[in-house]
Order: sequence, then C-alpha cells, then structure tokens
Amino acid sequence: MKLLKKRPTFNWNLFLILLLAAEFLIFGSANPKFLRPALLLNSVNDFLSICIISLFVTFVMITGGIDIQVASIVGLTSITIGVAWQDFGLSIWGAVLLAILVAALCGALSGFFIAYCGVQAMVVTLGGSFLYTGLALLVSTLSSTEAYQGISGFPDSFKRITQYKLFGVIPFQIVIFLILFVFAYLLLHKTKYGRKVFLVGVNQQAAEYSGINSRLVIMSTYVLSAISAAIAGIILTSYLGTAKSDLGSGLTMNIITAVVLGGTLSTGGKGNILGTALAALSIGILRFGMPLCFKVNTQYLDIPIGVLLIVVVVGRSLAGNPAVIAKFARLRGRSKKEAPANP
Amino acid sequence: MSTVKKIFKVREMSSFLFLVGLFLLVGLINPKFLTGSNISACFNTSVVYTLVAVGMAFTIFIGEIDVSVGSNLGFVATVVGSLLRDGANWGFAFAMGLIIGLIIGLVNGWGVAIMKVPSLIFTLGTNGVLRGMMYIYAGGAWVENLPKSFKDFSSVTLIGNFTVYYCCAVLAVVIIHFLLTRTRRGQYFIAVGDNEGGAQLVGIPAVRTKVLAYVICGVLSAVAGIIFCSRIGFVTSTSGSGYEMKAVAACVLGGISLTGGVGTVIGAGIGAVIMASISYLLVFMGFSSNYDNAITGIILITIVVVDALMQRRAAVNNRHARLAARTMTADAAKKEAAAQ
Repeated sequence: MKLLKKRPTFNWNLFLILLLAAEFLIFGSANPKFLRPALLLNSVNDFLSICIISLFVTFVMITGGIDIQVASIVGLTSITIGVAWQDFGLSIWGAVLLAILVAALCGALSGFFIAYCGVQAMVVTLGGSFLYTGLALLVSTLSSTEAYQGISGFPDSFKRITQYKLFGVIPFQIVIFLILFVFAYLLLHKTKYGRKVFLVGVNQQAAEYSGINSRLVIMSTYVLSAISAAIAGIILTSYLGTAKSDLGSGLTMNIITAVVLGGTLSTGGKGNILGTALAALSIGILRFGMPLCFKVNTQYLDIPIGVLLIVVVVGRSLAGNPAVIAKFARLRGRSKKEAPANP
Repeated sequence: MSTVKKIFKVREMSSFLFLVGLFLLVGLINPKFLTGSNISACFNTSVVYTLVAVGMAFTIFIGEIDVSVGSNLGFVATVVGSLLRDGANWGFAFAMGLIIGLIIGLVNGWGVAIMKVPSLIFTLGTNGVLRGMMYIYAGGAWVENLPKSFKDFSSVTLIGNFTVYYCCAVLAVVIIHFLLTRTRRGQYFIAVGDNEGGAQLVGIPAVRTKVLAYVICGVLSAVAGIIFCSRIGFVTSTSGSGYEMKAVAACVLGGISLTGGVGTVIGAGIGAVIMASISYLLVFMGFSSNYDNAITGIILITIVVVDALMQRRAAVNNRHARLAARTMTADAAKKEAAAQ
C-alpha cells in the first residue's frame, strides 16, 4: 500500500525536476546572463516568500482546508515590526518577536473558527484576508510616518539577515529557506504530528475516532502557515529595508499554484513537501526568467502562472479520468494504480 | 396573513433587517445621514457589486465558486472602455463585452463541470490569465477620455434618486429570483447544489446546469464591467481586483450558504448593498476609510461564524427531537404491551 502511494508522488516530483531543468535550459539558452550564479542567487529574494509560505500552506491543504489570508499576514507582520520598533520604542528583535506573535494569533483565530465552529476555511480566510489587511492599515496609521512612505531606517543588525552571505556567495535567506524546508519535511513526513495531519485530511471522522484531537490539528496548521507568512514578512522587510502594510499582496495565487502544482490534493489527504518546494522554485524561476530572457513585463506574469495552474489541474483531472486511464492502460499494458478522487 | 409570516421566515430577511439596523445606527450617531440622497447613494453605488454578487450567487448555489469575476469585470471594462474611447459604436462595444463574459463563463464552466477541477483553483488560474490579458490589452496604461454621454448616463435617475442602472439591476434581480424559484429549470441550480448525485438521478442535467451557472456569472460580471466603466469613467490596470472577495462576502451576508443549495439572489443583492455601503457609512460615523477592510472582515467572519453555530445548534435540536420522538413511541409500545 505504501509503495502504491509513494509511486505517483515520485513520478510527479520527477516531472517537477524535469520542469525545473527545462526552465533552466530554455532561459539559459535564451539569455546566458540567466545562468550567472550571482544573479540567480540574488533573484531568490523576489520569490522567496512564495517558497517559504507555500511549504506550510501545504499542511493546511492536506487537512482539506485552504488559506488565502497568508498574503495579508505578510503585510501585517512587516508593518507591525516597523511600528513597534519606531513608534513603540521596542528593540528590533522585540519587534520581530511581537510580529511573529501577532501573526500566530491571527492564524490561531482563523484556525479556531474553522476547526471549532465548523465554518468553511475558504470563507474564514477570506474574511481574515480583509481583516488583517485592514488591521495592517490601521497599525500603519499609528505610526508618525505616512503610510505610503513606509517605515525605514532599520538598524544594521536587522538588515544583515538578508545581507549576510554564507561562504560569501549564498544569501542567508536561502539558508533560512533550506532550514524551513528540512523542518517542514521532517514535521510532515517523519513525525506523529505529520501522520495526524494526513489522517485528518483523509477522513476527519476516522481521525477523531482513533483518538486524534482533529480540531487542534486543523487549527495548528493555520498557526503554522501564519508563522511562515510572518517569517516571509520579516525577510522581505529586512531585504527591502522598509516596513509597509501592503507587502505580500498578490502572493495568494502564486502560493496556491505552488502547492497545487506540487502535487497536493486540494480536497486534502495527499501532498508532500518536496513537491511543493520544487513547484515553488519552478514558479519562482519562471517569474525571474520570463522578464530577463523574453522581456516579459512583470505585470504579465500572472498569465503564465495562471496557465500553468490550469494546465496542471486539468491534466491531473484527465489523468484521473477512468476513460483516459483505460486508454493508457491499453497503450502501456498496465494500468495506473491510483486515480486522484475528485469531489 | 400567512404571506407576512412567510416573508419574515426567509433567510434574507435577517440580512435586510441588518441593513436597516445599520442605517439606523449610523443615523443615531450622525443624524445628517438619514436623508433620501444619502441612502439612495448607498444603493446606487452598490449596482456593480449587486451584479457581480448575483452572478457569484449562481456559482455558489451549485456548490462551487468563481474568483475570476474581478478580473472578468476589469477585462471587460478595459475592452469596452477602449472601444468606446476610440469612437466605436456603443452596441458593438457592449456586444463585445458580453461575448467576452460569455466566453470566460464557458471556459470556467468547462474546467469546473466537465474537467471536474476544484472550482477555486481553476478560477484562480483564469483570474491570473485575465488580469495579465488586461495589462496587455491596455498596454499597462489607464483607459481614459471615455465619451461624456456614456459617463453622464450613470447619473441619470429614474425613480426618485435611484439611477437607471440601479433600477434595472433591481428589476433584473427580481426577474432572476422568480425564474429561479418559479420555473422548473430555475430550480435545477439549487437542486444540483444541494445534492448533485441526487439531482442527476432524478434526471437533472447536472453538468449542463453547472456550465450554465458559470456562463450566467460571466455575463453578469461583464455587464457589471460595462457599468463600472460608465460609473467610474476610467479603467486602471487594477480595476476590479478584490471584487471577487467582496462578491463572496455579499453572498454570505445575504444568507447564501457556501456549501451550495441554500439562498436567493435577492439575498445577494441585499448583501451587495451592505458591502457597498460600509465605506460610505464609515465616513458618516467619523472613521477614516482605513477601517473599511477591517470592518468588512469582522462583519464577514462574525456572520459566518454565527450562521455556522446556529446551524449546528439546529442540527443538535433536530436530533434531540427525533430521539425523543423515537423513545416516546417505544415507551408507548411498551405500555401497550404491558396493558395487554
């Protein structure tokens, strides 16, 4: 059974690796500048938040939920750091801690409504995205600086998070991403907690009957994704050197695309961290390579990402279609074992 | 008499009472608000939201969702706006807008109903594609200098202070409501949303109904885009973003359940008025418009949580009632047996 379950995800990850390789090949041949390591490594700054957040939104989607409020939490974190540091007189690290705490509370609040009140995740996080964007705006009015300017002038120690380079080449935020990746991987695939997340996604009732506090598990996934959004917010603030309430807006589609492209089933119960990370990277490379190599305006990038999302979901739905499977079976002489169930 | 009782029993009545209460509350805080022109302004500004929310309501009725309506609206507004600016025939421009809406609806319907892709994810994808196409079509620039007669048409009033647009929208909502509740085909939407398998078994063409719901949603959003163009007078590259969220919020406020199969389009219309009025009301309550999003979020979350808790309580009560009825009959049977 385990083997059967493992095989499709392996194939899928292989496909994602091929996709990444193809991107490198195409972009690299179109514009050799693309392959310069320094440029490539620096480009990570532009899409690192997608990578970090999508790792933990995977948890949420495995439980069968969805989280569209994370983008607004990025902005909330950023502005909280700014205001707490500049106007409340907290030390910068105190401000960072406070911001993480605020984000965790936001996640817990939405998670509570979803898990304990039984409201659809979509609606609650939709309301959450309004609420936390609004809160971020309100927090920005507490500051003596005009909201559109953003709060800047952070101490060097804070900026150094993103300026420090490991061995002089690798930006430190990549190290943070790798640490988070390993953490998420171990948490989801190697711990009891991860098994619980899967079981809750497969069948919440069964999980409840087998003694799992399924509601707590669901709520905790939203806290996790909110904290990851906070980390992304901190890194963005440090990198840009300004705290703004609207950082992170527009990330939602990229994050959901990364998670879905990574092989996570939006109905829950299936997914893996490696796939999400690979998918997030390929989306990031796409966002970096298209403008550089084909002079695509960054504002048009929604088109390839949207097309990618549609192609993947339609393709996967075709792959789950019994008629198509039968055809393939005739062609290949053996049937595909797993057909993803659609609602 | 019974009709009065019936009116008070329907779900959207609570939304309507909420709206009236909201107006009265603002009137208490700032009596200047309670004038005919202010209240009609609240309704008039809601016309775009109303159309989008009614379209969204169709997709929610069938148990799905369409988050591409905002970009749909924006794209149609861009196309129609630039056609009109370049002196195209009005009829041609509007027809183009409606055809675009129709195509978007067909694509969404194909993906969701025929390819069976989860609707949120599919429409999120079309949302991105449309937003990008909007940039390309307009070249990243604003669409401005629309014909004055087109812009001025948005302030023509029909009944009292209500604009032609709002009156037409209300008429459309009422007609749609009757089509949905009084005709056979209209009831298909609710049936499919309530129980798709069951609907299919009794011979309702579920797939066709779902595609139709998306087409209606796409066309209504296109109409909203044309009206948006006329009311605002210019289209930017971000026009329409966020409308999908406000439309969902309007539907939820109007008593439409996101699980599908419950609610009416009139509710969606009332919800749209609430959503559109909030920023207007805040000004009269002396808040800055910075509170707009936060208060929208709080209202949305409060309503859905209260709704969910009430539904759960109703379910528990029903179960108790059923259990009590069963034990009662058992008791009665026992007594009968003892008597014999």
